[in-house]
Formats: sequence, structure tokens, C-alpha cells
Amino acid sequence: MGFLNRTITKIFKNPTLGHPNPTRELPKEPLKENLQDNIEHIKKTLGNSTDLVVRDFFIGSKHKIKAAIFYTDGLADSKAIQDFILESLVLEIPDLSLVPENDNYSLLKNHMLTVGDIKDATEFHSLLTSLLSGDVILLLDGYAKGFTIGMRGWKDRGVSESATETVIRGPKEAFTESLRTNTALIRRKIKDPNLWLETQQIGRITQTDVSIMYIKGIVDDGIVQEVHTRLDRIDIDGILESGYIEELIEDETYTPFPTIHHTERPDVIAAALMEGKVAILVDGTPIVMTVPTTFVSFMQTAEDYYQRADVGTLVRMLRYFCIFISLLAPSLYVAITTFHQEMLPTTLLISLAAQREGVPLPAFIEALLMELAFEILREASVRMPQTIAQSVSIVGTLVIGTAAVDAGIVSAAMLIVVAVTAISSFVLPAFDLALTVRMLRFPMMFLAASFGLFGIIIGVIAIVLHMCSLRSFGVPYMSPFAPFNLADQKDTFFRMPRWAMFTRPKLINQKNMVRVKSTPPEKPGDLTEE
Amino acid sequence: MKRRALLLCVVILIQLFVTGCWSRRELNDLAIAVGIGIDKIGDQYQVSAQVVLPSQIAGSKGGSPQSPVNLYKATGNTVYEALRKITTLSPRKIYISHLRILVLGEDLAKEGISSVLDFMSRDTDTRNDYFIVVAKDTKAEDTLKILTSLEKIPAVRLFSSLETSEKQWAPTSTVTLGTLITELVSKGKNPVLTGVVINGNVDVGQTQKNVETVDSPTELKYSGLAVFKEDKLIGWLNPEESKVYNYLTNKVKSTVFYIQCPEGKKVSLDVFEAHSKIKGSMHNDNPEISIEQHIESDIGEVQCRNLDLTNPKTITELEQIANHKVVHLFETTIKKVQQEFKSDIFGFGEVIHRSNPQAWKKLKDNWDQTFVNLPVSVKTDIKIRQLGKVTNSFLEEMK
Repeated sequence: MGFLNRTITKIFKNPTLGHPNPTRELPKEPLKENLQDNIEHIKKTLGNSTDLVVRDFFIGSKHKIKAAIFYTDGLADSKAIQDFILESLVLEIPDLSLVPENDNYSLLKNHMLTVGDIKDATEFHSLLTSLLSGDVILLLDGYAKGFTIGMRGWKDRGVSESATETVIRGPKEAFTESLRTNTALIRRKIKDPNLWLETQQIGRITQTDVSIMYIKGIVDDGIVQEVHTRLDRIDIDGILESGYIEELIEDETYTPFPTIHHTERPDVIAAALMEGKVAILVDGTPIVMTVPTTFVSFMQTAEDYYQRADVGTLVRMLRYFCIFISLLAPSLYVAITTFHQEMLPTTLLISLAAQREGVPLPAFIEALLMELAFEILREASVRMPQTIAQSVSIVGTLVIGTAAVDAGIVSAAMLIVVAVTAISSFVLPAFDLALTVRMLRFPMMFLAASFGLFGIIIGVIAIVLHMCSLRSFGVPYMSPFAPFNLADQKDTFFRMPRWAMFTRPKLINQKNMVRVKSTPPEKPGDLTEE
Repeated sequence: MKRRALLLCVVILIQLFVTGCWSRRELNDLAIAVGIGIDKIGDQYQVSAQVVLPSQIAGSKGGSPQSPVNLYKATGNTVYEALRKITTLSPRKIYISHLRILVLGEDLAKEGISSVLDFMSRDTDTRNDYFIVVAKDTKAEDTLKILTSLEKIPAVRLFSSLETSEKQWAPTSTVTLGTLITELVSKGKNPVLTGVVINGNVDVGQTQKNVETVDSPTELKYSGLAVFKEDKLIGWLNPEESKVYNYLTNKVKSTVFYIQCPEGKKVSLDVFEAHSKIKGSMHNDNPEISIEQHIESDIGEVQCRNLDLTNPKTITELEQIANHKVVHLFETTIKKVQQEFKSDIFGFGEVIHRSNPQAWKKLKDNWDQTFVNLPVSVKTDIKIRQLGKVTNSFLEEMK
């Protein structure tokens, strides 16, 4: 893939640009002592933006000190500013001597500001970043430093039910767009002091908060280090969604398979953390990623673990079966009906042949058309406004379902195959894996139409080889199948009973492996006996 | 490096396209032949293929009812040539992978069947799961013309009714190409094939009228086994004798036979298990065969009034009568095959071969003569197990 990389870079990197255009660097100069100067400077730097609120006032009754607060309208909690800054400083100022000789700055911080989150700001750069993140800035006249008061409070979507990963049994809550809410949702589930959280800003313009979360002692330190290295390597103007980061830190770009798992369910993240994975949270999106990721994690759902083990196992096997149907059903149909008719029972062959009587297209083209039509419908149903969704689905079912067969353009059997394929692809719990399968279905159909079953086998072998060659943060993608690990089979095709899942899945160099120490429940004997 | 990788991609892509899907055949390019009949006309072979019209079988479209199958026939110097010649009549290539039944005409069978079997065993399209039968007193072509109801495709009807009748009634035998060739090659066993006859008029049988009436005027029916010597048809066994053949080759799964009770009326026995042991031995350089036949049966029907089935003695008595009857049937049949056909269809030669390979070396070249006078002793052991829903028949109370 090296040459592909080089070609793409060559074509798309415009050499005349030289270095990518840097943003206007915010001034890294220190604050001034004169309050008016500071106010002017900040206003000028932000271009007199209309959502910047500047309020200057006096503190104290005898010795009045000039002060000013700054906040971005809409990002800061104006009610809290009213209650805890303005009221306490302007009205309820206690009887303390605010004299020029005293260190009024510390006095204010230690005795008057009834707010929890207070940091010092000494230069404009960090001050402006805080201001634009929703903090309140309090500057005093005569001091070349100010307070950054954490009073973020913007209109936020509340924690709502997960829309893309629904369960019948289990918690319904999902992450929101606010990073802080998301970390809180995880902390609610894991109250261990070893759950560590590190935050950094990525994106020259967006300054997006990106946090990584892991349980110290369970996670492999090497992986945490690797996540840091890859995140630090990112140099981009903006991060709007975790997908930006996913693409910039994944191991392999030229693969249809997702190598980083993501979810919007806090319980899934909590489970991943306890397996020794690292969660990457990005502000502004409800999607949280976990690394390293193996293929099996795309086949697991939270509910597998909440239901009883036998149900979980059967459902999971159904899922593995469905991934094959969804990948291969149209190809198998094409291959068998155009190359290997002798494989079918006679009566089935005759009924298939009867349906194909009068169909003008070869089976492959027929399959291609129907799959294409389905993909179009599916894409349309995702993009179109809810209000017209119903009419489109009616047109879709009528046109594709009945009319095409009645008109003799496609056979009814093909329609069944396409429908089964489509439904099977929705069984897969991970949407991005479903997309992969959706993409690979077409080359497989092409192979089937050229070489029959032989082509399908070649295609499947190629896909499996490719999957085995993938890695996610150093962990083989197909583990525990390849390399094979017998103990870890407990949570792959099967979902063993909880007490049998003694150890965490083996990633790289984990130390803390023991997970369950309880033994299988014992039957208590007959309790009714006296 | 880059150039080489690109070249590789191009080569792979070209391979995909230049194949042109070479062995591809769409379902609607096939004429699915389910039955093939081979007749000998003079020096030439006539091949008739019964081809399914799928839309008439499974289609839901309306319109005037057509016959569910078409018959295409052509003659040629070889079977293969004749089969390919059919394309001059049929719009599609005859596809014989789904062959259900191969009918050999009686004339061909009398002249020898081995010459046509090579094609069937060599052709890569065929599978070995179809049955081979002989058209009795008629041409193979005609048996493929008769329309049938219940199972719309006549060849499939022939296939399933042969399978069912072998299981339930026993005087027919399902022979596939593999077994037939093995028996042709073997010196110690000659083949048999089931015979199919047409009851009624062929001209009526091939019209839609045949399936429109409750009692079809023309019907296909299996009747007895054709006895071959080497590859030539030399005679027919009647149904009773055919049953003996199936007992001796351990093919009976279930059948019914009757015995006479002391007062002269009849009792039906439902055989549910039959097993025969054939042993060969040498006595002073002369081969001998002894047969032990075990049969387990239930009482299926009683017409006698004076029969106390609750008494174990009665059962023993019935078993004796049955033993006697079966031994007699076995002996007369074996005698008939020995004297009349002189063809070892039971595989006694094979038995001798297995028990005494040394002696067989001397015997095998002259086995046909030896077989004629081969002493065969038959012992039967018939057990009556259950009486059904009632014990004594209500007939007893009507006295």
C-alpha cells in the first residue's frame, strides 16, 4: 500500500503552499496592570465580537477597586454569574479592608469568591481560550493577573435514550455532545480511583477537548503511551467529530474494516475500560471510541452480557451467521444459478427456473440492479426528512417489491435473496461493520459471476487473510481466533456464564487479568424441609 | 516497485474480465431433462429427452394449460450424437444433471445395454442418482410420453414411485448406474432392472385428457424385474419372484404377504424387518449355497373366524405355515432362475468368491454352467410380533 500512499500524497498535496497556513496566533503576551488596557486589548483581539459581554464594576465600599468580568454570552451560566460573582462582590462584600497596601487579589480569592473552580490567568493566550470555552474572566485593576472562573453553562441536550444501540434489558442512557457529561456518565459506573482521565486540546482553530480514559493497573501502559503518541502527532485545524481522530490514529487506512470501535453507550465504554482498553472521548460528539479493537468486539452487544448466557450465545451465533448471509447471499445465488445448477434439488431448480422464465437479464445483472436499488432506498431513507419517509418507503416497496416482479424484470427468488441480505445486515450490532459488509458484497458478487463458487472461495480467503493482517494499536485484529487463544474463546462465538469468564481478554502485556473469583452457584438443597 | 504493483493490479483485473464467464449458463438457457429414453432402431440409437417446462410446473401465470413436459427425440449413430442432435429441435441445450430416470427400450435391452452406458458414465454433467429401468413390451420413447397427475412431471413420478414401491411393496428394485456397472463387470452376479409397462393407449396417455379424468385411462406401472445375462435381457420375473430377489439381496424394507390359515382363508403379514444370510461352501470341489432368511412381521389382516390369536400356539402355527410358504416360494424362484434363465442374478458367485477365493479362481470361468445345477438350501425363520389394535378379530364373535 506504500505506493498508494505516495500517489495520494503526491496528487493532493499542493507543493506551492509549503507549510499549511497557520491560524492567526493569539498574542502570547502577559496581562497588563491597567484594567482599561486589558479590556481594550481583549475587545480588540476578539474583533469586538457581539457575544462578548464585558461588565466593569467596583468592589468594596470604602476603598473601591475597579474590576471587570468577561464572559461569552450563551456559553457561561449567566444566572450563576449574577448570584455568585456580581452579588457577592458588589453587594455582599464582607467587612474586610480592601486597601491598596494589602494583597487584594488573594483576599478576593480566599475570602470572597464563593465559586469552586478558580484558576489564575497571567497571559492573554490561555485567558482567551478559557473565555471562549465558556469560563468567566475576572480582572482587577492594578494586577497583571486575573481569575478564570469555571462557570460554563450552555444549552445542552440532556442525557437521552440511545438511538442507535437500543437494548431491551439494560441501561438506556446514551452519551451527549458534552464531554463533561460523558465523563460523568462513565464515572457514575466506575467509582475506582484508578479510573484516570487526561485531557488535551486538539485542533488549531477548534481547540477541541479530547480526553482519554483508562483504568490504571488494568490497562497496558504501552497502549496508553501509544495513544498519547498518536494523538500528539495530530496537527489539524479542526476536530468536529471523533471520526476525524479515528482516521488520523488508526493503524491502517486502506482497509474496509473498522479498526477502532465506537459506541454511544456508557455501559459499553465501562465494560471496555474494565477489559483494559482506552476510551477516547471527544467534546461535541456523543460517540466515544475504544482502542485497541478486535473483530469480535463488533459482534458483541451490551445485551449479550445482560441476558442469560445461553441466550447470549445463541444470539451471537445468529449474528455470525448473518454476517455470512449478508456478505454472501447474493453471490451464492448468482454462482449456484449460473454455474452450479446441479447442486440444487430438482424441484427447487424447476421452481427457480420457472421464476426466471422471461427474465431478460442475466442473474448477475439482476442481482446487481436489485442490490443497487436497495442501497439507493436505504441511503434515501437515512437522508430524507422524516415527514416524507413514509411515502418513499411505500414507493420503494411497491416499485421494487411488486412491480419489478410483475413486470418480469426480476425474479421473485432474487427479491427474496436481496431482502434476506438486507435484513441480515441490520442484525449486525456495529453499523460500521455493516457498512464494510455492504461494500464487500459487490466485489463478491462480481467474483461469483466470473468464477462461480470458486471465485467466492477465493474472495473469502482474500478477506480472511486481509483481516488476519490487520492490527489495532498493536493487537492482532482477529485475536483470539488468529493468533488462537483457547481461554479467550469464552467470549467470542460463545458467551460463557459470568462465573466462567475468569480472566480479561488477553490484549498486550496486561498484568491484572483476574476478573471473576466466584464459583458457579450451588443448589441450596431443599429448603422446605424442617 | 510502484510500476510492478500497478502491473499486478492490471493483470488481476484483466483476468477477471477475460474469463467472459466461460462456463456460465443462465437458468433460462437450460432445457432441464428429467427423463431420457434410449431405443435402438436398426443400427441407430434413438434418444428421447423429457424436458420440463418450468412455467407449467411452478409458474403462477394463467393462460391455457400446456403439457408440463416436452419430449424431444433424435436418432444418431451414437448416443452422444443423438443427444446433441436434439438441439436442432429444442431451443435450448439439453441439461442432464437433473436426470431422474433413464428408460432403456426392450429392444435395446435384448441386444445389450453396455454400449449406451459408457456415455452415461463418462459425461461430466450427469450425477449417479437417477434410476435405470427397462420399458417392457414397448419403446422407451413411449413411456416418456405418458402424462401423470399428482406428480406433474412424469419422470419424477417414475422416480418417486419406484423409490416408494421398493420401500413399501418390494417387488421393484432401484438400480443406479454405479450398481448396474458393478454388476455388469462382476462375474459372480448378473444385473436386474425394474420393468415399466404402459397400461392403456399411448395416444390417449400423451394428451391432457389423461390427467383430467379421475381414473387416468393410460398409466405407467412397474411390473417385475428384467433378468439380464451379461448385458442382455433374457426374461422377466413376476412380482412374487421379484420379491424373492429383493429378499435375497437384502433390499426389502417393508412388504406384505399372505398365508392361509387352517380353515383356508387368508391372513396378511406385514413384514417390517427382513434379513437374509447367504453362505457359500465347497463340498468335494462342488460349491453349495445355504440361505438363512429372517423375517419379522406383524399381523396386518385376519379373515379367518376360528383363529385364537391370544393363544401363543396359534402364533407358532401361523409362523410354521409362513415358513413353509416362503421356503417354497424361494425354492421355486431360484429353480426358475437356474433352469430357465441360467443367469446368476442373486450373486451366489460373489458369495462363493468371498467364502473361498481359491476355489472361485477355478469356478469363475465356467460359473454360468455351474450355477444351473448349484445346490441351494433355504431355511427361513419368520417371527410374528404384534397383532395391531385388536387381538382376536371381531369375526370370531360373529359366529
